[in-house]
Amino acid sequence: MSVIERRSLAEEVTLLDLVDRVLNKGVVVTGDITLAVGDVDLVYVGLRLLLASAATLEREAA
Amino acid sequence: MIESPAGTGWYVYGVAEDDPALARLDGVELIRRGTLAAVAREVSLDEYGADVLPERLNDREWLERNARSHEAVLQAAAAVTTVVPLRFGTIYRGRGHVERMLEERNDEFRATLARVRGHVELGVKAWVDLAAVGQTLDPAEQPLEGGAGMAYLQQRSREQDRSREVTARCFELAEEAHGRLAGIAVAAVANRPQPRELTGRSESMVLNGAYLVPDGDEQLRSEVDRLAAEHAGLGVEYELTGPWPPHNFAGEWE
Repeated sequence: MSVIERRSLAEEVTLLDLVDRVLNKGVVVTGDITLAVGDVDLVYVGLRLLLASAATLEREAA
Repeated sequence: MIESPAGTGWYVYGVAEDDPALARLDGVELIRRGTLAAVAREVSLDEYGADVLPERLNDREWLERNARSHEAVLQAAAAVTTVVPLRFGTIYRGRGHVERMLEERNDEFRATLARVRGHVELGVKAWVDLAAVGQTLDPAEQPLEGGAGMAYLQQRSREQDRSREVTARCFELAEEAHGRLAGIAVAAVANRPQPRELTGRSESMVLNGAYLVPDGDEQLRSEVDRLAAEHAGLGVEYELTGPWPPHNFAGEWE
């Protein structure tokens, strides 16, 4: 049996979990400045690129 | 209407019923209208302006620091009263603009607050080792027939069938888990599983659910334990996160 528990404020909650909630959910009210849906998609693309480049760096270091 | 000094704005984290305990939170100010209070902080538009924000989001360090800080403020507020989380990066140019928003959205905020009061959100993810799931399926192997070319094609076809069966089995597992958890929760959402290239894990995420449950209620946790015990032989691992403020249950009104 394996259940891993992660408290939401602990550092162990991944940035992805935070992005999933903090940027992707929550009430959308129109502020004077508001993130557009496209901006959030950009975050995922950005994270993908960052993680891909981190993996590349690890491979190069190996 | 009074605007903030040029170059600053009001970042709103969430909205609650006005409560003296909220006023004691560090690092935030309350902007009030009627019975509602916006939990807000004055921020520099150098950091949060419309022209810089999209670019900031691609700075992982900035994103992580600010996403964690957004969550920390909401959790501090949630510890003293019910709060409706706003999406990251909702900024107003003046206090008056926030007051107007509270007034315009008064009914929606109060209805949402009433719905989530006394509840928390728990996250449940299920991870599957695809190879382990494949091994639990019936082998149904028959000797390959014909020449080498035919055998290769049959082998390919079997592998494709197997891959489809594994996917179908994972879908079943996820449906079963979500169905049982949703049956216990007051409300439930199955979000898109995070893709492997982002999680960086070799296992595949098959369930990325969020569940609204009464604060302090252990039923959902127990059900996750049961699912984990039942599915342990299938190489499924469950992960529970939270309690979170009700990000997934605040509703989208636009």
